[in-house]
Amino acid sequence: MDLLSPETGTMFWTALTFLLLLLVLGKLAWKPLVSALNEREQRIRESLEKAEEAQRQAEKNIAEYQAMLEKARAESQEIIERSRKTAETMREEIVENAKKEAERLLERAKKEIALEREKAVDEIRKLAVDLSLIATRKAIGKTLTPKDHEALIQEALKEIGDSN
Amino acid sequence: MVLNFVFTLIQQHQTAHGEEAAAAAGHGAEQGTGEFILHHISDQPLVHLPTVFGIDLSITKHVLMMWISAVLMLALFSVLFGRAKLVPRGLANMFEAIIVFLREDVVKPYLGNDGHRFEPYLYTVFFFILFNNLMGLIPGGASATGNISVTAALAILTFLIGLLAGMKAHGAFGFFKGLVPPGLPKVLVPLLFVVEIMGLITKHFALAIRLFANMTAGHVVILALISLIFLFKSYLIALLPLVGAVGIGLLEVLVAMIQAYIFTMLSAVFIGAAIHQEH
Repeated sequence: MDLLSPETGTMFWTALTFLLLLLVLGKLAWKPLVSALNEREQRIRESLEKAEEAQRQAEKNIAEYQAMLEKARAESQEIIERSRKTAETMREEIVENAKKEAERLLERAKKEIALEREKAVDEIRKLAVDLSLIATRKAIGKTLTPKDHEALIQEALKEIGDSN
Repeated sequence: MVLNFVFTLIQQHQTAHGEEAAAAAGHGAEQGTGEFILHHISDQPLVHLPTVFGIDLSITKHVLMMWISAVLMLALFSVLFGRAKLVPRGLANMFEAIIVFLREDVVKPYLGNDGHRFEPYLYTVFFFILFNNLMGLIPGGASATGNISVTAALAILTFLIGLLAGMKAHGAFGFFKGLVPPGLPKVLVPLLFVVEIMGLITKHFALAIRLFANMTAGHVVILALISLIFLFKSYLIALLPLVGAVGIGLLEVLVAMIQAYIFTMLSAVFIGAAIHQEH
């Protein structure tokens, strides 16, 4: 048997064996294997896409939350500022009011005092007239005419006014 | 180089037969070695079957080895991949890694989107060659791929698949027309057509020879090294050929895988070239 001359019989057996093997393995092994490989490829691609999508979503959420946080911070700052201003104006108002009230009270007190003083002076004046009348009557012992009265009162008043 | 070596062996074998009667007793050992090696690498009929249409259908040593590896492949792959899981384990994982490698580095680059149609052929051819190559490394086994008839049959299958796929893609006439690069002077077209046809046949012929020669050469080297032991008949000298034979044996494991890969890759390249006729 020569080493380099092909034998048709062996070639026939090779082709037959190989084709049968191809047919059976194609059905039993390669078909399920290839579909599993394809499925895995699909699965990996989908997983990657999903992961990317999740990443994008997460980044979007973070940006959103950051914006919200920024807004809340600004808002709270504004609220604090506003309440500070309100408190300031309120304080000023209260102080102003208190000052006015105090002034008013002072004014009234002054007026009342002045009034009381006048009243007191009047009373004293009347009392002085009466006293002088009594004193004069007793001293002179006679009744004076209204004309004398008038002149005496005036004199007495003058004296009191001077001593005052 | 490898072929030359084989040819010298054959010549030795023939001259050994011719001079058999006249051979002196001193030459007997050398001639016996040549015959021993040739006997081991050549095919022998085991069961004689009648000749049908001039074809000798005898079951030979290599046919038997081929059947054994075919049965092994059937058992292994139908069990491993019969219910292929999304997450493979163990042995299935190992073989799947090989197939994924072929898929990504052979099928997709050379065949592109048409690749999936040829996947079963390429996977089967890869493992068929690999298993048969490895059969030759088992004691008592033999490499069917070290037989030119077997590699020729496989190369013819690749050729036919490429031819049919090319004809399907471009039409029977379009395929042969596409062999000649466009834009040539009219005078050159017949010449180039003949050259291209020859090239088409030659590259498939080389495909058969490459696998056969590589497998045969390795066996010849191992057998020659082992023969040295019997030539020298010395325990001391036996150590050297032994170490050499083990080294070559290890190299053979590598060659078995590389040749299976090369045959598969070139099959994909040739089929791809037949489908995509760009020049």
